[in-house]
Amino acid sequence: MTDLITAPARRAVVAATAQRRARPIALVGAVVAAAGLPAVVDRYTITLAGAALVLAGLAMSTQLLVGTAGLPAFGQPAYFGAGAYTAALAAQAGITNGPAQLAAAAGAGAVAAVLTAPVVLRTRGTAFLMVTFAVQSLTATAASRWRTVTGGDDGLHTPPITVPAAGALTSPAHVYWYTLAAFLCLCAAVAVLLRSPLGLRLAGCAGQPPRMSALGHPVNTLLGAGYTAAGAVAGASGALLVAVHQYVSPADIGFETAAVTLLAAALGAGTMTGAIAGAVAVVACRDWIGAPTAGHGHALLGLLFLTVAYTRPVTAHARQLFARRSRP
Amino acid sequence: MTDLLHLDQVSRRYGGLNALHPIDLHIPQGRRHGIIGPNGAGKSTLLHLIAGTIRPSSGRILLHGTDITSHTPDRRARRGIGRTWQHPAVFPRLTVADNIALALPSRSCFTAPFGTDPAPAQTESVLARFGLADLAGLRAGALSYGQQRLLELALATAGRPRLLLLDEPSAGLGPDDIRQLADTLGQLPTDVTIICVDHDLDLIWQLCDTVTVLDHGRHLTTGTPAQVRAHNGARAAYLQPTTTPADRSPEADRPESAPGSRTGGVSVAGLTAGYHGHPVVHDLDLDIPAGGIHALLGRNGAGKSTTLAALAGHLPPAAGTAVTIGGKPVPLGRPACAAAAGIGYVPQGRRLFGPLTVAEHLTAATAARQTTHGHPWRTDEVLDLFPTLHDRLATPAGRLSGGEQQMLALARALLAHPRLLLLDEPTEGLAPAIVAQLAGTIHRLAGAGVSVLLAEHRIPFAVQAADQCSVLAHGTIAMTATPAELATAGQRQQLGHLLGIHHTLGSLA
Repeated sequence: MTDLITAPARRAVVAATAQRRARPIALVGAVVAAAGLPAVVDRYTITLAGAALVLAGLAMSTQLLVGTAGLPAFGQPAYFGAGAYTAALAAQAGITNGPAQLAAAAGAGAVAAVLTAPVVLRTRGTAFLMVTFAVQSLTATAASRWRTVTGGDDGLHTPPITVPAAGALTSPAHVYWYTLAAFLCLCAAVAVLLRSPLGLRLAGCAGQPPRMSALGHPVNTLLGAGYTAAGAVAGASGALLVAVHQYVSPADIGFETAAVTLLAAALGAGTMTGAIAGAVAVVACRDWIGAPTAGHGHALLGLLFLTVAYTRPVTAHARQLFARRSRP
Repeated sequence: MTDLLHLDQVSRRYGGLNALHPIDLHIPQGRRHGIIGPNGAGKSTLLHLIAGTIRPSSGRILLHGTDITSHTPDRRARRGIGRTWQHPAVFPRLTVADNIALALPSRSCFTAPFGTDPAPAQTESVLARFGLADLAGLRAGALSYGQQRLLELALATAGRPRLLLLDEPSAGLGPDDIRQLADTLGQLPTDVTIICVDHDLDLIWQLCDTVTVLDHGRHLTTGTPAQVRAHNGARAAYLQPTTTPADRSPEADRPESAPGSRTGGVSVAGLTAGYHGHPVVHDLDLDIPAGGIHALLGRNGAGKSTTLAALAGHLPPAAGTAVTIGGKPVPLGRPACAAAAGIGYVPQGRRLFGPLTVAEHLTAATAARQTTHGHPWRTDEVLDLFPTLHDRLATPAGRLSGGEQQMLALARALLAHPRLLLLDEPTEGLAPAIVAQLAGTIHRLAGAGVSVLLAEHRIPFAVQAADQCSVLAHGTIAMTATPAELATAGQRQQLGHLLGIHHTLGSLA
């Protein structure tokens, strides 16, 4: 029986085990570092960090479709916008409670996704990319034209959010901590989803749709459920956008957001933690390092993508070397 | 008792081509039904029609008396139809255990979305039943071909289907794997109905109690194995090779080679190659004279395909590897360079361009030709070798049957004027009559001075086609012998030991 397992396969298992052991430590370290950030950096950087968390939420939503379900989704900013405008309108109507806004925004994102899923999921591959692009640009256009509700290109300004025990959050550090807490809840929800039967089935749909059908799984219904979940995550991230900036405008859900989100997911190479790291890297390059380099943030961003695209084989090789070293 | 499955005048047309003429079949519950026929007879079409991946042009399909003609494949699957494909359809990025979890009868993911591990006990029992327990944590894509086949069968049966459709389950499997397959299928509950398409007639006779013969989309006969074997039409269409393999000696029908073509053979020294830096083949030496035919035998995972892929330039070989053709070194690690140096490659799974027609494939092969060393094959010569392709020139490769695709892949490789032809499981998916023809074809190629290296599971075919056989075990050559030597008892025993088989070798000599 033992010769059933080939040597490369056994090494793959060893490497996976080593990774699995290192992962909790890395996660705890990242969370502690993120929570301690306001103690070491200035107010501007804290706001940037909050913006990075918002983009990371949107990147998770995109990765749920791109990395897990195998759908090249470009339109997640549409559901992000549905959530953001819902939260902003709620805030203007006097509902400043942060968690309530978050729930309403997630619901709005999910409803928008349910309504559009039947149109979008008729296609796959490049056609899917184009249809979701259309959804994104139509939503951005609607946000800019429907002045009576969205305030047009001027956008909507909102009062600071409130949290039940603490009242209104006015200091950037407090807003950041709220955003981080909400973001971690979102991460937990996504992690549970990925480990659920639905998560497994979405991964199955990505690998072998005909095989999924032949096993009796309704592929389109499953993908519709995944699309709805991704819409809810995007919507919740929209509420965090409003919490961080106290402002939303059509520019927040425009083409650049869509492109940067998809690229953050691509940086993540199919994994959820990778997408989050990608989003943080994007904000760091574009806004944090970019500002002192006289607005060359986009050039840096381009360099970042090229670096990742070319070094991926290098990192894979390094991982192998590591696995070979740690072989018993 | 009503039939489990009733095909009521079901037919399928593709444009002007009648893939399947109206057919009427009654299959009662518990029947083990074989479907055989030459390549392109409509066997796979029939399975696709039952599984729902193709809609019939006319007729009705009834399962337990319910009309399922308009049902989608997933709805049919929930009604108890399980299936396998010609090439294993598993989820390559998921672990073996997750593959099985997806195949288990669904606890709805909407009513219980947050259970963390779906039915682990059930998954384990399926894994144990198929001997896959040790592999549970591996990604399915890391499994060998034979293991993927086994996993696919596990997937198809895990949901306890009432009707199991098997499309060439033995393709690409070695003798011991086929025996294991037959055992596994035999152990299924007796109320499971099986419809099995296969070219391995021993498997069909052993497994099936009823056999249907198709030819050119027409129903020839249905009956017990004995009746089918006695049926004249069936014998003419399929069972009887045009010439019996046994009375053909390798040297007899090989044309006298042109003077000088015997010089300039292929030499491989110290070939070490593998995946992601992990060698699968170690320090392999091979010498094939011009016009020589060398067969590589070995169990699944022994390194046969890896050797061929490395020679074809698809895998970077490790330092120290040297390959020469006619004394000239062949640049390694680049498919285009290998092709230019005269190496033709027919991979397992064919790798055809789905939407291109047969004629376009042949044109593309001619246009890309860079070598001037080998026998200058012309398109009409190649079409004479494979007459079936003549009638399919305007057909897209994706629409060809499995056997026709294999012929096209061979034809394409020949048009590049190879001096060394690498054939990976050339008989996979071919009807017995075509297999016998193929041996003759390979001899003709060798007669024209082409060196041939083939990886093969079917020992009788390898013995018949090759003039040297090597057995690979754990990435090295464990023994090399001529077919005549293999016929001796001692060699036969060693071969059986290396391949893990003991009973099929009696028929070898």
